[in-house]
Amino acid sequence: MRRLLPICAALCFAVLCAAQDMRAPASAVAGEDATISTNGSGKATFYLLGPGVSYKSEVGLGSEVRLKAQDLQNAGEYFAVLCSDTCRSASFYVTAGKPASLTFLVHPSRVPVGLGDAVSGVVLPFDQFRNLVLAPATVSFQLLEGTASVFSHSSQTRDGIAWFRTASQKSAGTLQVDASLGDLSARRAVQQVASDPCNLRIKGERTKAGILVQTEPVRDCAGNPVPDGTIVTFTATEASGRSTVDAPIKQGIARAQLEAPGATVISVASGVAMGNELRIGAQP
Amino acid sequence: MNRSVTILVLLLASSLGSLAADSVVHVELDASKAAPRSVESLTEQAILRDYRFAWTSIAQALEFNTLDPLEGAFTGESKQALSQSVTSQQRSGLSQRYVDQSHKVQAVFYAPEGDVIELHDTAEYQLQILDSGKLIHEEHVVVHYVVLMTPAADRWMVRHLQAVPQF
Repeated sequence: MRRLLPICAALCFAVLCAAQDMRAPASAVAGEDATISTNGSGKATFYLLGPGVSYKSEVGLGSEVRLKAQDLQNAGEYFAVLCSDTCRSASFYVTAGKPASLTFLVHPSRVPVGLGDAVSGVVLPFDQFRNLVLAPATVSFQLLEGTASVFSHSSQTRDGIAWFRTASQKSAGTLQVDASLGDLSARRAVQQVASDPCNLRIKGERTKAGILVQTEPVRDCAGNPVPDGTIVTFTATEASGRSTVDAPIKQGIARAQLEAPGATVISVASGVAMGNELRIGAQP
Repeated sequence: MNRSVTILVLLLASSLGSLAADSVVHVELDASKAAPRSVESLTEQAILRDYRFAWTSIAQALEFNTLDPLEGAFTGESKQALSQSVTSQQRSGLSQRYVDQSHKVQAVFYAPEGDVIELHDTAEYQLQILDSGKLIHEEHVVVHYVVLMTPAADRWMVRHLQAVPQF
């Protein structure tokens, strides 16, 4: 028995020396070369499987296996398998490189003025191979009306995302929304439009064809002209009944021709806004 | 009568087949911590359904080295990377099996306008790597995935799928 022990130990040592093994890189960056060191002797088949890559090649044990940058472009987990008599495996992660582009989602593209939490933006930084950069980075958001900054906010990415939300401004017009991260920037535009009409005022006069009635320039409560095409409803009430006419705003003013021969009360409304009443006497 | 029975059997077989494909992928989704927008119940169900379908599709594509399963569940970078995986496996003769998949998924970000959701998936499965059909490696793996999904016309699609060492 005592004689057998040294023999067993020698055999085990010999097997261990002959068996292949490998060491995967502790970390690797997308698009950069990496190496896997192997030990043992003789030939083996090397397999690499990862996101977007799968290949096998013959390698000499005891040397380094060079992983080309082009095979490590996608961030994620990679599996290396080395097979001679038996197979050994190792896994390693490839992480995203430096931010090279920003995906910037801004909503909405068109918004009424003076609305709380109406404008929002989300930024996702990607490296040159479109891997999501998960390392925290500071993103600066800025909103401009013309050249005047109306909102600025800095936010650190968390899990690869930074975002903001704010109210729309008081004036109609283009709102420029900028996001920047280091040297990278992205720009979007939000069209701010007038809100609902406010303080509708009408005037009218009797003509041969009936009553011609029109609004004063229609504006929202902040004084912005309400967009053309917004519908204004005129209602004529006389002893014989009631009639309504819908008219779109054209060049800031809505007009309608009402057929009402008797004494008439005309009212106006647009959306939830009501205007003044107009009393017109009967046709002479 | 015989024709009706045949149709019924075919329908049953078809539904059982799809059930079998789905049942191998177990997905649990917790959307309670999603912010800044909360995830509506119907949205949560749709994401759960479509994310499970995505993993069924990945398993099929990488086992049988075919691109067809990738249609419908993936878009953008994830579709590109998976398509590259399949085509390079076709060239090398390798394939992968994802057996007994279990995914514990947490929604961590849901955009204010609902146009992107980020998920953290702790996936467990038995990974088998095959060379020309011969098993060369098998191991039980736990992988953390950062996932971006975006809504399409009638479903949620996986836009980005990136394994990370930890969350």
